[in-house]
Amino acid sequence: MRRKGKNGALLLVYTLVIFVLASVLFFTYALKREAALVLKDAPEIIVQRSQTGRFHPIPVAWGESIGKINGVISVRPRLWGYQYDSVFQANYTLSVPAENAPPTGSIDIGSGIAKIRDASPDDIIAFTGHDGFPRSFTIREILSDESQLLTSDLILLSEEDYRDFSGLPADQAIDLALRVRNPREYATIAEKITRLHPDTRPILRSEILRTYDALFGWRSGLLIVIFSAAALAFVIFAWDKATGLSAEERKEIGILKAIGWETSDILMMKFWEGSVVSLTAFLAGIILAYAHVFLTSSPLFAPVLKGWSTLYPAFRLTPFLDFGQISALFFLTVVPYTVTTIVPSWRAAIIDPDSVMR
Amino acid sequence: MISARDISKVFNAGRPSEFTALHGVSLDIRLHETTVLKGPSGSGKTTLLALLGCMSRPTTGRIFLNDREITSLPERFLTEIRRSTFGFVFQQFNLIKGISALENVMAPAYPTGEKFSLLRRRALAALEMFNLEKRADAKVEWLSGGEAQRVAIARALINNPTVIIADEPTAHLDTRLAHEFIGIMADLKAKGSTIILASHDPIVYDSELADRVVEMRDGQVVSQGISA
Repeated sequence: MRRKGKNGALLLVYTLVIFVLASVLFFTYALKREAALVLKDAPEIIVQRSQTGRFHPIPVAWGESIGKINGVISVRPRLWGYQYDSVFQANYTLSVPAENAPPTGSIDIGSGIAKIRDASPDDIIAFTGHDGFPRSFTIREILSDESQLLTSDLILLSEEDYRDFSGLPADQAIDLALRVRNPREYATIAEKITRLHPDTRPILRSEILRTYDALFGWRSGLLIVIFSAAALAFVIFAWDKATGLSAEERKEIGILKAIGWETSDILMMKFWEGSVVSLTAFLAGIILAYAHVFLTSSPLFAPVLKGWSTLYPAFRLTPFLDFGQISALFFLTVVPYTVTTIVPSWRAAIIDPDSVMR
Repeated sequence: MISARDISKVFNAGRPSEFTALHGVSLDIRLHETTVLKGPSGSGKTTLLALLGCMSRPTTGRIFLNDREITSLPERFLTEIRRSTFGFVFQQFNLIKGISALENVMAPAYPTGEKFSLLRRRALAALEMFNLEKRADAKVEWLSGGEAQRVAIARALINNPTVIIADEPTAHLDTRLAHEFIGIMADLKAKGSTIILASHDPIVYDSELADRVVEMRDGQVVSQGISA
């Protein structure tokens, strides 16, 4: 490689810019996809009760009347909530699972909780209940990492333990989860539920997805700022390259013309030179970004972007590459860069070759 | 025969820095001979060399190469003529830094699309002619002045030119190396090359190599004749 210092620095800056841009793209896209995958099995409709606009527990008995509405396959009262752990200053999500709930006195916990509480299966762990008294639970298992985004801060427990812990009466639930087969009936069913129980608020799955999208969208908004900064750095970098051609490079172009190279030969050489730098930096940047996002859990972005509580889910995103995005990145970086390397060379190459003799 | 008819060259035309380097020069250069353009700095020798070597066009006047008028040819054709007919040895040698002596020698032939292995072999042979085969892979920055000039000559010969043009070839050489250069040129002339040199060094214009000496001053030819 000629001009080791200059080309090395160029390659480094270029790779860094591609790395940041590609990391942002990979991360936001994978995050949204992860959330969508996790929510794939979410109920089609969730019915909540509200009193003067505020959340209120819903009577379990309402499930019977709602279940009779045509199109509703099943209704399940759900029990869940949040628990603030003042010792570790972390928020946990409590939930009673529909299937395979832990037996009374046992809980399953997310990997994030296990990590900060240094807990493993069969350990006994205590949480303060609604009445201020602590309850002890035996850990049955640590939840698998596959759905880390939403399970990192999760505690699964039995219905009995949940009611004891939260003080929620036996005839009430947090909300009702409905299964509906035909997506075209969602709106009609929601309307019927509101007519039957005017103080309820049916939430469609599409609305939840939209909320998640907005949430991650907002977070990716932060990344857009980083993205913009990196893109700006790239523009400055390319502009500098486009306007600057060292005296040595100009002289070299003059020599090549003098010894019989045509302007097109010189442009072709500069094109290949630019392409080699561009493609090397692009590939290196993409590979580094892939490793950063999918193999090392984005240590540079994670604190800002993941988890909503003080407990950061340490999760690994499912590798997913959108080739549309990669090609967009390619056409927004490699192509303009290569062009900008040609422009000054062209300006130098159209001068008379006798300039080297003077 | 290379003929120049009433050629002038004006630099920075229309600007305050306008400068006329050549005024109505007419000249005939016979093939297979050595012509030396002699004169002080600023006399127009280098400008005339550049015009004869198709590196630039005269502002007025015409240049003929074997009776073919080349002044009005498009850039592409001029480049083609420059590449196939002329071999240049520049005053500062103008080797491309950062690459080896061998790659420098091969450079003029790259646009011809010649097979790489064949070109490499020819370039090595050219370096061998000047006892530089051991320096083939050395970066040009590491070469001595004499070696650098011999590489520059090898580069000038790679496309088998009929005319070799050298601008102040001995300006950066000591007496021994200057005589060595004259010897190399004499060999090339003996093999049929036409040589055009610009120099104000007596070692060059008083040498036996020079068949004709054209004396220049202030952009004009003041005398031309057979060398003594």
